[in-house]
Amino acid sequence: MKYSYYPGCSLTGSAKRLDVATKKILTKLGYDIKEIPEWNCCGAVEYGNKEELIKLSRENLKKAEAVSKTIIAPCPACYRNLKESDRDADFNIYNPLDMFNVADIKKLGIQKDLKNMVFTPYYGCVLLRPKETAIKNRNIIEEIITDFGGELDGEKIRDRCCGGNLFFSNKEMTEKCVNLIASRSKGIFVVYCPLCHMAINTFSNRKVVYITDIILYILGERKNI
Amino acid sequence: MQKTDMEKIIEFTGYKKKDFSVCLGCKICASVCTLNDFDMHANPQGLLLKIFLGDNTVTDDPLIKNCVSCYRCTDACPWQIRIPEVVRAIREILEYSSPFEKAFKGSISIWGRVYEPYIFMNAIGFLMKNGYLKHFMKWTEYISFHLPRKIKRI
Repeated sequence: MKYSYYPGCSLTGSAKRLDVATKKILTKLGYDIKEIPEWNCCGAVEYGNKEELIKLSRENLKKAEAVSKTIIAPCPACYRNLKESDRDADFNIYNPLDMFNVADIKKLGIQKDLKNMVFTPYYGCVLLRPKETAIKNRNIIEEIITDFGGELDGEKIRDRCCGGNLFFSNKEMTEKCVNLIASRSKGIFVVYCPLCHMAINTFSNRKVVYITDIILYILGERKNI
Repeated sequence: MQKTDMEKIIEFTGYKKKDFSVCLGCKICASVCTLNDFDMHANPQGLLLKIFLGDNTVTDDPLIKNCVSCYRCTDACPWQIRIPEVVRAIREILEYSSPFEKAFKGSISIWGRVYEPYIFMNAIGFLMKNGYLKHFMKWTEYISFHLPRKIKRI
């Protein structure tokens, strides 16, 4: 079965690493993915007129039909916008986090573990809210970390906001949000959202990685986390 | 703000005015609001009420400047009312957007995608004035150069 892949703008620019890693892992897991031809921007959260915003993603759904009606969208904002525009639920839209699971990763051959390392799994807002567009497994990052021996911290801030949405309009707010989540957790931040990555990395002195970095490390494809 | 602007705000959200009348006034939205972690006295329910009543003072609400669109209010709301989308609609009507956000939309209308170098060039004055450049050292890992490509629109 073929899957439509919708990288979105961030993954072709600032979060290229997330794009490369996500595609690599999905391919290893046996997903036959193909990029949606001529996809356009989903509009992120920049449009106050909902119809205008939805229209952009509806266009992407049409373009996806040429490949497959089952779509994989890694960027949380793109993922949510696509889901929102699919009002009649004609398409199956997934975030890669819903395609990762410990049992399948183990089958790929484990090279390293996460022992003696502390992590703060951080989902942020978009992957978990609103409920209608949230990912199915809300503990996937924790499951991967603990199963490979890593320690967890920061349970209470996993779904707090990083303020990334206001990064380029009111960054004082972003800084306050990041300070709050950083002060209530310890260890390496594990995220999946490109904007969370940028916000936390900018305003805290802690290491921030994508969950895909950790998976590739476990599989021996990355030297360091 | 004029009466028609209020109507437009509701229209932009995709809601009908009567959808807001179901609000029970329980203020659970205020109790979970991210802004109130920083003592900003945010009251999403009050904002909704102002829109419902057509009260002009809504433009001074701290949520207009600071709402982070976290949807904690929506998650907690018995009716799952999407207040962040109401805030975004108000911002749109007030044309409350930074030069960066304007350039972002500009890029989408030119190429159909976000082209970061274009946005940075257009917003450079804003970025300099507001102290963004000091973060540049931390941003090196995000910079990758590629040429813009205009995509086909349907």
